[in-house]
Formats: sequence, structure tokens, C-alpha cells
Amino acid sequence: MTRAVRERPQGAAIARRVAGHIGRGLVMIWVVATISFFIIREIPGDPVQGMYETLLQKGMSPDQAERATAVLYGFLPTGSLWHQYVDYMWSLLHLDLGQSLSTPGVKVTSLIGSAAQWTVLPVLAGTLLSFLLGVTMGVYAAIKRSGKLGDLLALSGSLLHGVPVYVIGLLLTAIFTTLWPILPAGGPVDVAYVPGFNAGYIGSLVYHAVLPVATYTLASYGGWILAMKSNVVAVLGDDFILAAELRGLRRGFVFRYLARNAILPLFTILALSIGMLFGGSIFIEEIFNYPGLGLLLVNSISTRDYALMGGAFLVITVGIVVANIVADLLYTAIDPRVRSGETA
Amino acid sequence: MKLLAAIAALASIATATACGSAGTESSGQGGIYTTIDGSKQINASAPINPFNPVGSVFDGYNGMALAWPKNDPIDPNQFYPAIARSWDVSPDQSAVVIHLQPDARWSDGKPVTSEDVRVSIGLAYTQGGTAYAIDPKAAGAAASIQVVDPKTIRITQGANKSNMFLSNLLSTDIVPAHVFGQLLPADFWQKLKVAQTGKGPAADRDKNVITGLADKVIAFSPPHDVSAGPFVLERVNPGAALLTRNPYFYDRRLIVPDKVEMLNYSGNEQIWNYLIAGKLDNAPFTSVPSAVLDRIRQVRGSKVISGFSPVSTSLAFNQAHKPYDNVHVRRALAYLINRAQVTKIASPEGGTASETTSGIHAAAAKVWLGQAFNGLDPYRLDPAKAAAELKAAGMTRRGGKWALPDGKPWTVQIHVPAAFSDWVSAAKSISSQLTDHGIDATVVTSADYTLYLTELAAGKYDVGFWLMGLGPSPYNIFQRLFGQANGWQMFGGRLEHVAPGTQGNWMGGPEKVAVAGPDGTTTVDPGELTSRLGYASQDEQKKIVAVLARTANQQLPVIQLWDYVNTQFVNTSRYTGFPPDDDQSLRLSSGVWMQLGMIRKRQA
Repeated sequence: MTRAVRERPQGAAIARRVAGHIGRGLVMIWVVATISFFIIREIPGDPVQGMYETLLQKGMSPDQAERATAVLYGFLPTGSLWHQYVDYMWSLLHLDLGQSLSTPGVKVTSLIGSAAQWTVLPVLAGTLLSFLLGVTMGVYAAIKRSGKLGDLLALSGSLLHGVPVYVIGLLLTAIFTTLWPILPAGGPVDVAYVPGFNAGYIGSLVYHAVLPVATYTLASYGGWILAMKSNVVAVLGDDFILAAELRGLRRGFVFRYLARNAILPLFTILALSIGMLFGGSIFIEEIFNYPGLGLLLVNSISTRDYALMGGAFLVITVGIVVANIVADLLYTAIDPRVRSGETA
Repeated sequence: MKLLAAIAALASIATATACGSAGTESSGQGGIYTTIDGSKQINASAPINPFNPVGSVFDGYNGMALAWPKNDPIDPNQFYPAIARSWDVSPDQSAVVIHLQPDARWSDGKPVTSEDVRVSIGLAYTQGGTAYAIDPKAAGAAASIQVVDPKTIRITQGANKSNMFLSNLLSTDIVPAHVFGQLLPADFWQKLKVAQTGKGPAADRDKNVITGLADKVIAFSPPHDVSAGPFVLERVNPGAALLTRNPYFYDRRLIVPDKVEMLNYSGNEQIWNYLIAGKLDNAPFTSVPSAVLDRIRQVRGSKVISGFSPVSTSLAFNQAHKPYDNVHVRRALAYLINRAQVTKIASPEGGTASETTSGIHAAAAKVWLGQAFNGLDPYRLDPAKAAAELKAAGMTRRGGKWALPDGKPWTVQIHVPAAFSDWVSAAKSISSQLTDHGIDATVVTSADYTLYLTELAAGKYDVGFWLMGLGPSPYNIFQRLFGQANGWQMFGGRLEHVAPGTQGNWMGGPEKVAVAGPDGTTTVDPGELTSRLGYASQDEQKKIVAVLARTANQQLPVIQLWDYVNTQFVNTSRYTGFPPDDDQSLRLSSGVWMQLGMIRKRQA
């Protein structure tokens, strides 16, 4: 009975907290959607003329280029800006992001849905791999900080942390697709394989994902190792570690105390970094011709595909907002101090 | 660490599997031909529909037109047969009778008939465009379509004739009526007739009905590909499209590869990497730095084929801005730019330095003008002539720097889109050359081409890069110099010249100019002459082209920098029989080369 009474207010508080997060998230999404709507409409550039001249540049005759671009006029937004905004918001409420201009006749939601799978999986894989690798190496670097191994690990973190993601991507491409061509130069999967749950197709998916995932991993590995090393060093000086050692606890127990306390702040960053990596996908997908949200966004900007641009911005925004909410909730769940503060 | 080891092991197994052949559909003796479609990126979400600009239909493979245009330097009406085996044109081009390939069949076995052509033309009307404009006054619009028999169809041209009618007609994409025919309402042809010939609300209503079908036609997504070409789309993913040989193709004995893999690309670097890896049998030309080009050439079997490309690059002036309104200033700049040096830096493989400014690619200009080509001022590097021209413009030289007539400093701002590395290199080279000759010059880049074109059209730039010489049609060639960008526009079938800075007139040239010729100096309206090129006879066209070339040469609305070369990469380690240099099929896809019997399997 006592336990039930205690759980009810705690459950209500969590529900209130989640509702608050969702409410704030929705407001944030509305604000970003509104700002991006107006910014996108203010970007100078005529998409039809741009496509026409690009086709000429590619060697198409003026008549052919005219035929290919004439149809786009029917997909240009019309009406006053305010009217367009009201239409956009109304459609958004119905989860309709409109028709694409660069892929006429295809809904933006369909394009985003197809692209999202090629971003989410590599981003998740890259983030988790870099987290595991960085955290493990960070602990070693902290424990062995006065040795050569520790210095070497810290140096690797510092170096990689300072290299922009596109440089890592280009370097990996140059090494593994031209100098030592053992990995594919681009694309998500070999079209020769029949799509489905068969070894060849899945193997080809993994094979093509190696370089993008490696780039995501290396790009954020430096941050994890440096953060983890710094946290472990800080925790090493805490009284409870000293107390544990004085009580003669086994090294494994001490290590667990150490790791659990040092890793706590990193979980928040982990959730946030998944959201932020969607931004990094712009460079990585462009380099590896990987058909995810980043490449979709780049293409939509160059073709002035307003609807697609808005949709891609929105999805990336939602990704980051959701990551923030998850980070906050995760921290509440894993850190008892935050939990007790909440129920007090 | 154990987890990492497990992941690494899984990845290794997957990689090994992917490198193997499990799951693939095997190809026969003909092998898989790998290439890239340079005109569009692959979009797996797009329908298998040629009316969709990014549809999964690839010209020459699973996309067929009535005929394929030859790369003739001056005649846009030269074609290779495709779905049309032959065609007869009346002397005044008012009627064309098309005879279809007798053995042409769709990939589902049904014969290709005149009804397919009629439906394809009906669908083309919903999209508008030159040959299929609903407005009967539009130049070169088709007037009637008559099915003569299952393999013969007759199309007539409206009263307002155009030299491009045959060319536009033969370029029509042909789709199967039994798949696409459902898009046209039963009374479509009656509505079209009312829209074309009727007047008042009924005509407007029917016109709206027809143009209102455009979205439906573009969005139409057949469940699977039905192709009359040598290949059929088997599947497409965001990285590539796979096409299989069409067993019903009318000339199937000429088609060697069993499959074609069309790779996607998002940037030139990917094409370079594919070429260096020897993966592509053919690739469209892309700007390539010399170091990369050397690496591509070293790949086993790698070859470069080059030929005529009717495109040139120029430095264009906004004549509404001072001092570029003064022809002496434009000429002075032409005498100070070493075009050979600019081309060597900017486009060593993809271009040849322009011999002069004529408005036309040199290869076509020599055919059009004959000996008169040599009579044009070549504007060779000549600082003395440049100084004389600048003095004639009232410019003054102080402290080694040229200044404006009012004594204010003069800086030439050259605008260029940042993404075009060859143009950026050229702009920097020109800027450096002008600076060496006492003219301050800077290069200003725009974030992307779309923004560049918008700002250019808005008249924000003094000097910018501009594509020109878009042949082979002489009308298209001179449209780039004396068309909308320079103030000439059609309003209700009448040509008018609009004021600089309005309605896209960013070149700001005068409506009439004095041009010196063999018979003395005459005043011409270049826009009016250009417009006449659309319907004039070939003899008359020759005379007009001569006048317009002299106009371009003397007035210099642009300085022609280099003429493009169509340069293609091929790899002969798997297939041979690629077209030779300067072949008339060079601007067509490998699929068309195969239809012409060119591609052969390399014998071991």
C-alpha cells in the first residue's frame, strides 16, 4: 500500500515531465518549421532556369532542355507568401509535406521516407561504434595516462577530433577506393543483388556501408576518448574511489564504480550526438554518394526544391528535438541524483 | 573488445559475401555493361516514365524516340533511325510521313504501332513544348496527326512554320499506348481540336483540361517497365539501375551486353574514382584536373574519345553598366585576354581556345561562314591595340593603372558560379592577365549556379561567364547573344525589344547596331535577324548567320573564350567497337551506340 502511494506521485511526475518535453518539442518544431519556411522562400534563384542552364552545361540541346524543364513550372508554389504558409502548416498538421519539384509527381514524405533509412542506420551504427571504441579507449588512456599507450591514445583522440568530417571521408575514399581499391566508391548496395533477406544482398549493404560508417565513427571517436579520459581522471580523485581502494575492494569493483560514474555525462552527449550526426550526414553522404537525408537536402538546395528542403530541414529538426528529449529522460533514468531531485 | 571483434568478424563475412556472387542474377556471355547517365541522377522514387524529368527511363536503353539526332555541326535535322525506320518530308516541311520499324515490339511482345505514336504525341501535348504547343500560332507546332496504317503516321505542321519542326517531331519519346493510353480522356482529340482551333470560353476550357493533365502524366507510375528499346528496367535502387536485354527489340542481333548497370553519381569525384578503378565501360565527360586525368589514362583499357560539342564559353558584358556600354572597352579587353592560356588552365582537355568571337563554335562557324570566317577579327593578344581602344573610350592611364574617363578607379569584377571549377580557373587567369596590363580585376564567386543565373538576369553583374553557341540550330546559337538575355522577346507572336534591366534583359545591348560588311556599313537589328533564323530557308540562313557573326565579332556582346570538345571516357578491357573520334553518334548514349551495332564483346 505504502509502495503504491509512493509510486503514483512519481509516475505522475514522470508523465508531467514527458508531457512538458513533448510540448516544448512541438513548439520548437513549429518555430523551426516557420523560420525554415520563410528562409527557404527567400533563397534567391529560379529553379526552372537553374535546371535549364545545368542541362545545357551537360550538353543537352536547348530544345531538349526546354522540354525537360517546362513541366517544372506546374510544380512551383503559387499565391502570396502568407497563403503558402497557411497551406504549408495545414498540410503539415496532416503529415503532408507537399510535392517535390526536383522529382515531380512524387510526394516529399515518400522521398524522405526512402532517404531516412540510408541515414538512420549508418548514423546509429557509426555513433554506437565510436562511443564504444572511444569510451573503452578513454578509460585505458586515463588509467595508463602516465605511460606511452595513454599518450598515444590521447594523441589519436586529439588528432581525429580536430579533423573535419569531410576530410576524413575524402581520405578514406582516396585510400580504400583508388589507392587500395577494396571498398566501393559509392552507392548503398550493388544493384545486381536481388533485394531481400539473402546473404548476398545483406552482405552488399554492409560492404557499401563500411566507409560511411567508418567515417562517422572516426569523426566522433576523438570526442568520446577525450571526454571519457577527462571524466575518468576526475572520478579517480573522488573520495569514494579512495574509500573503495582502502576497503580493499577488488580491482574489478573499483573499475565498475569508476566507469559508471565517469560515463554518466557521456550518455547525454550520446543522445545529442545522434541528432547532430544528421548534420554531418550532409558531407558524408555527398562524398560516398549515399542516398540519405543529407544528400537529399544538398540536392534539394541546389535545385531550389522548396518543399523538399522544408521537409528535410523538418525531419533533421525533429531528429535533434527527439534526441534532446531522449537525452533528458535517459539522464533522469540513469542518474539517481536527478531522480531524487525530481521527486523531492 | 569482444563485441568489437564480433562486429569486425561479421563485417568481414559480409564483405566476403558481397564480393562473391551469392544472390546475384547471373549474366550470360554478353556480360554487364557499366555506365553513367550524365544528364540526370538516378532517383529510385521516380516512376518509370519518360515524361518525368527524373524518371527511370534512360535514352537509348529502355527509352526510345522516333529517331536519334546526329552530331552535325550545322544541320539539326540529321537523325539516325530508331522507332521510325524512315521518314518523308514535304519540300516545305509542312508534312512528315513516318514509317515505323516493321519488327518493332514492346518488351511484353505487343507490336509497336502508329497508335503508340499517336498516344505519345497526345501525352506530349499535355506537357507543352515546341512541336506540341496548343497555341496554333506557336512556331513549329503540329497541326494534325493522322494514322495512315499500323506502321505509318502522318503529321502536319501549322501555318507558323519552323525549321525545328522535324527535329522536335523525331525527338518525341514513344510510350506504349496499352500502358499510358489510359491517361488520355476518351474525348482528348476532340478537346485538342477545340483548344487549337476554337475561340472563346470553350477553347479556353479545353486548353485548361489538356494542360491540366500534365501533373497526372508526370506522376504516372507503371507497375513495371514496358520498353521498345534494347533493354528493359529490371530494378533500380538509389545507387544504380539494372537493365536487362529486351528479347523483342527489333534489332536484337546487334545488342551484345546481357545487362546494363547504370551507376548514380552525386559529384564528379565519384566518376573519377569509378574510372580510376576501371569500373566504367563508358562515362560522360566531366571536368577533370590534369593529375586525375593522368591517373585515368594509366588504367588498363582506358581511352578518351573526342569530337564536336556545339557549346562555347564566353565572358559576357552587361552593356547597361559603364564602361561596358562602350564597344572600345569591350574590344580592349578582348585584345588583352590570352585565350589560349586561359583554356590551357581552365579546360585543357575539354576545350579548344576560340579562334575568334563569332557567336558560333569554330567547327560550325567554318561551315557556315566559309572563307568569311578568316575575315573576322581574331582579337589576338595585342596590348598596343588594347591601349588605343581604351584611349578611344576616353579611359586614362595614371601610375600604370587604367582609370575611368572621369578619373575614378576602374576594377573589372568577373562573376562566376563557385561550383564550376573550370570557369573559376578561367576567371582567375583573366583577372591575373588584366592586372598585368594595368587593369584592376577581381573574381567574385556565387554560391551556386541557380543563384548566379538569377543575379545575372537581374543585372547585378558587370561581367560574367555565359554559355553560348548552342548549336546546331542557328536560331538556338544566336538566341544566346541576341535573344531574351539581350532584350528581344516574343509577345503574342510579335518580336519586341525590352529595356535593359527588365524582363531578363541583363546584356543591355542596343536594339540596332551598325555592322561593317563587304558591301559597306549597314544598320541591323540582331534580334530580328535571329528570329528569322527559325523559319528562313538554308540559303537565307547562311546570309543571316554571316551578318550575325560579323555583329558578334564587331560589337562583342561577349568575348568567346573556348569551344567545348565532347570528350568521353571509355574502357576497352571488356567491350570494344566504341565510336571513333569525331563520330556523329558521340553525343548519344551507349545504348544508341549498341543500336547502331557498335559495341562488341572483347575477345579473350
